[in-house]
Amino acid sequence: MTSIVRNQWYVAAYGREVGRELFSRTVCGESILFWRTEAGDVTAMSDRCVHRRFPLSQAPSHLVGDAVVCGYHGFTYGADGGCVAVPGQTRVPRTARLKAYPVVEQDSFVWVFIGEAEKAEVTAIPRAPWLDQEGWTTVSGMEPLAARASLLVDNLMDLSHETYLHGGYIGTPEVAETPITTEVDDEAGIVYVSRHMADAECPPFYATSTGLQGRITRWQDIEFVPPCLYKLHSRIAPVGSVPNPDGTDPDAFHVEVVYAITPETESSTHDFWAVARDFALDDEGVSAFLRENNRTVVLQDVVALDVLEQVLAGEPDGYQELSINIDTGGLAARRLIARLAGEGAGVAPAVGR
Amino acid sequence: MNDMLGGERVLRVNWLPGSDRLVGRCHCGAETEAEDPVQMWEWLLAHPDHSAGGAGSPDPVGELPPPPAHVITDPAVVRSRTPVLV
Ligand code: FES
Ligand SMILES: [Fe+2]
Ligand SMILES: [Zn+2]
Repeated sequence: MTSIVRNQWYVAAYGREVGRELFSRTVCGESILFWRTEAGDVTAMSDRCVHRRFPLSQAPSHLVGDAVVCGYHGFTYGADGGCVAVPGQTRVPRTARLKAYPVVEQDSFVWVFIGEAEKAEVTAIPRAPWLDQEGWTTVSGMEPLAARASLLVDNLMDLSHETYLHGGYIGTPEVAETPITTEVDDEAGIVYVSRHMADAECPPFYATSTGLQGRITRWQDIEFVPPCLYKLHSRIAPVGSVPNPDGTDPDAFHVEVVYAITPETESSTHDFWAVARDFALDDEGVSAFLRENNRTVVLQDVVALDVLEQVLAGEPDGYQELSINIDTGGLAARRLIARLAGEGAGVAPAVGR
Repeated sequence: MNDMLGGERVLRVNWLPGSDRLVGRCHCGAETEAEDPVQMWEWLLAHPDHSAGGAGSPDPVGELPPPPAHVITDPAVVRSRTPVLV
């Protein structure tokens, strides 16, 4: 059975990756061609010519105005995926058309709808406004993960692993030691996990970027919108500082760590990561530091999860695992994903194990 | 800790600081304690039929069966994880 949830919006790319060059990425097992029209709009269509299956992203396929010309025999497709010209004859077969995907550019991402296109309009696209907003500076990237998406969800929902896998970067003893509160809004389909450390060591990731010395108050509030968008609201402040009753929080540094978890295939994932901050906005040194460090941390997860995927793929089905308190949020995320997967199929989800 | 989500159908699990105990609260007001998150979610998700006996039982006492071997079905995995001796 497939583990990929369909009829959902997924992040396919950053807007900056798509331009007047043909760009291809596989999302949920579907090879998709992206390009920008002369007016600047992103288009998404199947990356296989209907004639002999040549990839339209492969040179010498190319754009001419707002049309793609297949580099093999010259079938030519418009921005809606319809074929507008074939070589040597005037009649274009009616069935000569590419699957076109609903596509939206929002919050610096290119979102594509995977599933039955008519459901796109009624399906919400989750938001991460900080990534493209006045008052915030963002660094971002994407790492290929040779592991199933669910392993990255497990990884991100339980940040106690920072203490062990990311010690010396973002992990300190307090992360694994501090109890969490987990909430699930079944109607909205959100999992929220809070870990508020009142008096914690400041890891290098935050000491260097904020300049805070000594012990800190560190809040980690995870908001996961299954199946794809993960937001970590991170608050770093001097010990004892709390936000004002009106919501302002002048003594704190805020970092929004966003992950878009996009299945490439059943067993590989696009790991989009972004770090937005509300301080040192024009400090290129801080940007370079956060970019380099967060990428290092992401790659530590990638190495671990790539190995884990190999191990799981080589095991018989029904292997056992053991859940403890730190897994409360991860179990909730699994259940919501199972519910989404079951919707449309009319299947009641099992409780996450 | 304060409630973070404000919806009408929110399930909450608080891990009691200084203990291993979880406290679960359903949107209907039902509450229970447990020390296993799987059993806690089962209890919460049974709404409106939360079992009166609470969320599952603590770890079994007495003799446990020996733990199972870790079985590998794919020889490629075995080979890829065997260090090469030089
Ligand atoms: S401690 Fe989590 S896998 Fe070993
Ligand atoms: Fe990690
Ligand atoms: Zn209830």
